[in-house]
Amino acid sequence: MSSRFGRNPGGYLWALLDPISHIAFMSIIFMAISRTPALGTSFPLFFATGYIAFQFYQSLAGYLASAISGNRALLSYPAVAPIDTVFSRYLLQLLTTALVGVCVLGALIVYAKHPAALHFPHLLSAILKASWIALGIGLANIVLFARFPLYEKLFGVVMRPLFLVSGIFYLPEALPPAARDLVLLNPLSHIVMEFRMGVYPQYRALGYDAEYVAWFACICLMIGMSLFTFGRGVIRAR
Amino acid sequence: MIRLDRATKLVRMKGVRKTIIDDVSLTIPRGKSVGLLGRNGAGKSTLLQIIAGTLDLDSGRIVKEGKISWPLGFQGSFQGNLSGEQNVRFVARIYGVDTQELVAYVKDFAELGEFFQAPVRTYSSGMKARLAFGVSMGVRFDYYLVDEITAVGDTNFKRKSQKVFRERLSGSDVIMVSHSASALRDYCETGIVLEDGKLTYYDDLEHAIDVHENNMKRH
Repeated sequence: MSSRFGRNPGGYLWALLDPISHIAFMSIIFMAISRTPALGTSFPLFFATGYIAFQFYQSLAGYLASAISGNRALLSYPAVAPIDTVFSRYLLQLLTTALVGVCVLGALIVYAKHPAALHFPHLLSAILKASWIALGIGLANIVLFARFPLYEKLFGVVMRPLFLVSGIFYLPEALPPAARDLVLLNPLSHIVMEFRMGVYPQYRALGYDAEYVAWFACICLMIGMSLFTFGRGVIRAR
Repeated sequence: MIRLDRATKLVRMKGVRKTIIDDVSLTIPRGKSVGLLGRNGAGKSTLLQIIAGTLDLDSGRIVKEGKISWPLGFQGSFQGNLSGEQNVRFVARIYGVDTQELVAYVKDFAELGEFFQAPVRTYSSGMKARLAFGVSMGVRFDYYLVDEITAVGDTNFKRKSQKVFRERLSGSDVIMVSHSASALRDYCETGIVLEDGKLTYYDDLEHAIDVHENNMKRH
């Protein structure tokens, strides 16, 4: 905890302020462009659902990828295994994002007088799948970043537009067919859709494919774990 | 006892492969402290990491009996954003010793004053070394792996740490890497020379020092 949030003044509070400012910013911009959001009546709630669902992947994947390099010193203790640092980061970030989600969404639901009919199975399933994809990709990246520094740069460049193509500030099914099919290839857009199904009971999520995401998450995890296991050599070496 | 059995370790650094040990079989007996000698970059620290268990061998195996410390080095193995005290607690927990006892011992030993509660990244290298030394002396091991950390702090602290270290060595052994022959003479009776991927054990430290010095002259 202290090692993650201790550096900045305000510490843990930043975990909360960062998404709030993002959501507020997007809401202001889009409220200027159109009158009603694609779902419900509240712009902030619409963005928050998308943004927080996405964060369950994004913040985790990034934080996990540096689990080893960020804990180099502690790994000099033989009693600390590399996977320990990954799991503790996984838990810390998952709980942090969950806490942020509860605070932000809770506040917005009350504020927007949104009918409080949350469907928890959908929410939990979306969160778990997102976190598994992040865990798989994080594990893989720990090894690949250490082995191929160029890949780290490429990964950063390729993943930058991910935010735009995950159906966060729009609904994938509202796009023209060609663009929609492309966005629906991105498993994260399904995760955002499932998360929104958990908040908006009326949302039908056309094109949502539960099986596709589940398979993708499992395969990510498998690849990540195998790379991490077979890449032990590069993990502890400096 | 620590035994290497046909052990081989290669490291790859920026595309360059280097053999640290090549098909080495060797037994380090219990009851005698060992000085590990070798030229710069020969892989002495890597060997300590293998003994500690933080690095795996490429082939062969290592058999260890007894509780072995982590490699104690100048750098210390501290998480910079945590305070000295939090780092000590972390060590106490992963080694299963009494947390309060260890914290009290280190606080008293390392003489960090108010810095004990400050993040380790604000420490000077001397303070870090004092903390590292305090923590490692607070946990009992059968083998202490020491990487170039014998002279820490001012004269007073040095005297104190040498006294404690000697006490520990009555019941424990040390495997020590140092470039200073006098430091090795202070603590070790036997020696191991690492040269060209081969390890040679000498019952007499003086013999090992002679061999090492001859090796240094050859190149």
